[in-house]
Amino acid sequence: MITFAHVSKRYAGSASALLDVNFHIDAGEMVFLTGHSGAGKSTLLRLILMLEQASGGQVVVNGRNLSKTSARLTPQVRRQIGMIFQDHKLLRDKTVFDNVSLPLMIAGMRYSEIRKRVRAVLDKVGLRNKEKAWPLMLSGGEQQRVGIARAIVGMPPILLADEPTGNLDPQLSKELFNLFRQLNAQGVTVMVASHDLTLIRSMSQRVLVLSAGRLIDDIPAVISRGWEK
Amino acid sequence: MSNMRVKFVRRRLRAWSRRQLYSFFSSLGTLLSHRLATTMTVLVLGIAMVLPLGLYLAVNNLRGLDLQQDEWGAITVFLHNGIGEKGAAELARMIDDRPDASAETVSPQQGMDEFRRASGFGQVLDLFDENPLPWVVLVTPQVRDAEQLGMVVGNLDAWLQTRDAVDIVQVDHKWLQRLSVLLELGEAFVTVLSVMFSLAVFVVVANTIRLDVANRCEEIEVLSVVGASENFIRQPFLYTGFWYGLLGALFALVLLSISVLYLQQPTEDLLDAYGNSFEIQGLNTFHVALVLLAGGALGFLGALVSVQRYLRQLRVSGRLGRI
Repeated sequence: MITFAHVSKRYAGSASALLDVNFHIDAGEMVFLTGHSGAGKSTLLRLILMLEQASGGQVVVNGRNLSKTSARLTPQVRRQIGMIFQDHKLLRDKTVFDNVSLPLMIAGMRYSEIRKRVRAVLDKVGLRNKEKAWPLMLSGGEQQRVGIARAIVGMPPILLADEPTGNLDPQLSKELFNLFRQLNAQGVTVMVASHDLTLIRSMSQRVLVLSAGRLIDDIPAVISRGWEK
Repeated sequence: MSNMRVKFVRRRLRAWSRRQLYSFFSSLGTLLSHRLATTMTVLVLGIAMVLPLGLYLAVNNLRGLDLQQDEWGAITVFLHNGIGEKGAAELARMIDDRPDASAETVSPQQGMDEFRRASGFGQVLDLFDENPLPWVVLVTPQVRDAEQLGMVVGNLDAWLQTRDAVDIVQVDHKWLQRLSVLLELGEAFVTVLSVMFSLAVFVVVANTIRLDVANRCEEIEVLSVVGASENFIRQPFLYTGFWYGLLGALFALVLLSISVLYLQQPTEDLLDAYGNSFEIQGLNTFHVALVLLAGGALGFLGALVSVQRYLRQLRVSGRLGRI
């Protein structure tokens, strides 16, 4: 589903953000991406989302080579990806319902269908009664769940999350990760960047470890349980 | 196979129209949620548009006067003070004998009465011991079409100047020619003002939309990340620009109508004094439609240029990634 081949990314006038990164993620896999801050986790996710362009190497997402994809097709690539941000990136002047419905509006779906889907997904993240609320009226955890609802409402085959537990307490973080596992069980390819090692270890999934822009470890799901110790 | 293709196209078309509808309402929502800012922008646009429109209306109405040329071709001949009724009648008869003109006499008393009635300065005349007005002969050129008028009036003028009894020959036609030149100047002004104020409308909308884009770059970023095409991002701003232009034009038309209503009475009074009946011509339906369309189009263009420019800046700054 996601393949990185000799991918590097340099920003002008600074050290490389990513250096010769290679990995492959199968459809339906769940992968954690970890490393210190500044290790290149966000850059890696931004490459998948076409928010950045690789300086070298190939990024292939859902069979499409992104470095050979014209800018005109960027929206199509992004519609196959649900992205969850650490700072939620909600629109403050739109209600929870309107925020969540954005991807469906963009797809040009019928309104009755949008309403049905948005309510279903808000139900799923436990915000059924908040659809008319404004984002600023919600707690951090609730805002995060609105962001998740927006990411999954279009049922994209790929879900990316950048430090989704950044501002959440351990209990909420745990619940969030369980939600990811649930989605993964339904066939969604999930990639979560996080530095919450305790939580990652408890999930026993494949883990990619970045350090200073290099992929220094790729721990398969079977042994990542042992990696706990 | 082709059936599937038709279905596919139809589905795309429906999705497209739903997106348009979304942009349409989203732009209206933005305008309504910032009522004060919207009102101010619309006021500025309306005032910018009403200036060339008002001048156009004025010139157009004066042109309407211009058409009644033969009335303005009249020559007023003031006789020397010593010339009495006999002299005036003789001159009038000589003019009547010519093939190109007819004449009538106006006695000092008639002139006085008319002045009293038309000018409203009646009391001033009471200050004079005796009537200061001379005998007057009104000469009306007889021409078949307006083209000849200038020549005929010129001939008459030259002939009248040679008469001993004549003191002053006042040719309204000269004034008319001047008016005609002035009107041409006015029309040129209308063109210049139209271009300048169109530019102003364009710039005001472009700047407003620029601020709008800057205020909503967070939203643009989010839309872009969740897969909105550039078109989808751009659309609401274009609609907003269109609304600004349309509302501005509407406001300009309202201002213009109020002005016409306000000026109606004084203009009628003024023209009454010239013995002319006249009604201000407002804009016709075609013009109204044209003004609204032009306003909307200018707003749309301003928004288009602005949004293109600032989306490109966002793109270059890397906030939208590759779109």
